[in-house]
Amino acid sequence: MTAPAAPAIAPIFATPFAVVPLAEMAPLHAALQPLFASRAADSYRDPDMPRDPLCFRGREDLFEWQSEPVEELRRRLLAGICGAVMGANAYTETEFDALRIQARARLTIVHPDGCVPASSAPMASWSACYCVAAPSSASGRPGSGALRLYAVRDGTMFIDAANWRLREPFSRTHYLWAPVPGRMAVFPAALVHEIALNRTREDLVLVTVRVRFAHAGQVALPPW
Amino acid sequence: MSVPIQVNPVFAVPFGETQLTSCERLNRELEALFLSRENDEYRNPTPTHIPQEEMFESRFNLFSWTEPCVQELRSFVLGSIVQTVREASSLAPTDLARLQLHNHTWFHITRYAGSFVAHNHPLASWSAVYCVRAGERSAAQPRSGVLRFMDPRSGADAYLDIANRNLRPAFALGRREVLLEAGQLIVFPSFVFHEVGPFYGGDTRITVATNCWFT
Repeated sequence: MTAPAAPAIAPIFATPFAVVPLAEMAPLHAALQPLFASRAADSYRDPDMPRDPLCFRGREDLFEWQSEPVEELRRRLLAGICGAVMGANAYTETEFDALRIQARARLTIVHPDGCVPASSAPMASWSACYCVAAPSSASGRPGSGALRLYAVRDGTMFIDAANWRLREPFSRTHYLWAPVPGRMAVFPAALVHEIALNRTREDLVLVTVRVRFAHAGQVALPPW
Repeated sequence: MSVPIQVNPVFAVPFGETQLTSCERLNRELEALFLSRENDEYRNPTPTHIPQEEMFESRFNLFSWTEPCVQELRSFVLGSIVQTVREASSLAPTDLARLQLHNHTWFHITRYAGSFVAHNHPLASWSAVYCVRAGERSAAQPRSGVLRFMDPRSGADAYLDIANRNLRPAFALGRREVLLEAGQLIVFPSFVFHEVGPFYGGDTRITVATNCWFT
C-alpha cells in the first residue's frame, strides 16, 4: 500500500500584514523629534481620548501640520502604505494610481509603564503604525511596547489536542510586532490592536495612520 | 406616517452582575490566605500566557481548598453562576439542578503595572470574576485595572455614523469596561474576549476567576 500523498494545506481567510521599511529616515527623525517633543502637550492632545499621563495621544490632524518635516513624513508614509495596500489588492498599478487616498494621522508617545488600550480604527480600510523612536528591548519582556494584533476572529470555543498548537500561519495566538525606528506596520483597520505596556525606561514614539481610498469616479466617502 | 415597531435585542450577550453584601470579613480572610500562598507551590505551573512578575496566578484548583472562607466564596460564586444560567436559558430549574457543575478557579494578585492580555476560555460555557480587593484607585489613571470586554460582533463598529454611534446600552457597539469593586461578581459567557488593563495602584488588586462547564 502506498502512503497517501502529502496534503496541500493552504491558508485561506488570511489577514494581510505588511512591514514596510522606509530607507534613510534618521535625518527626518532628527528633524521631527524636537517638534514632536514640543507638541506633546495638552494643547495638541486629542480631547476625545481619556487623559493619560503615561501615554500622549495627539489629535488626529498630524498630516495637516504646517511643517516641512511633517509634510515629508506624510509623503513617505503614504507611499509606503500605498505599496502595502496595492500588494494586498488585485488592482493593476494603473488602476491603483487612479484611486484617491484619504488619511488621518496622530502622534502617540508611550512613556514608561504606559500603553494604548485595544481598539480598531473605524471609518477606514487600513491602519498603519510607524515607529519614530523605540527603546532598546526590555530584557525578558518580549511584549514590551509591542503592537499586538488580537486573534479574535477565529475564536472557536472548541479546543483539543489537534487544534491548540497549530503552526504559523494557522496559529490563533495574538500577533506581536516590535516597533523598530524607520519601519511601519500596515494592516486592516478593523483588526483590534493595542500597544502593549512599555516596560522600559524610555519613550516609544509612534505615528499611527488610518487610511481609506475612493474609486476615481466616487463622489464622496462618508465623514470620518 | 409612523407605524409601531418592536425593537428586540437579538444576538444579545447575557452578563450577570451581583454584589456580595457585607463582604468585608470574607474578603479580609481571602486576602490573607492568598497572600500567604503567593509562592511557587501554589503558582499555576502551566500558564497559557507569558507570565508577568507583576501578576501572580494560582493553580486552577482554588475551589477544592477546604478553608471556610474559600468554601463560602465558592458557594456565592457558583450559586450566582447557576442563577445566571437559569435567567439566561430556558432550562427548567429541576433540569438545571440535575446537572453537574465543573469549574476551574484561581486567584490573581496584581501589583503596579500588572495586566492580563485579551483572552477567552475555550471548553467552558460560563466564566466569572469576583473582586476580593479592588486596589488603590489612581486619580491620574482612572481606568487602572479595568476589566475590559471586547464586542464579539467583530467588525460591526468599523462603519459608524450618527445613527449607530449612540445606540442604547443593550445595542451599543464597542467594548465594555468594568471597574470592579470589592465584593462585586461579573458572570459572562466564556466566549467573550476580555482583558485586564494595567493596574497603577501602589498596593495589590486581588480577584478570583472561574470557568464553568456543565454535564
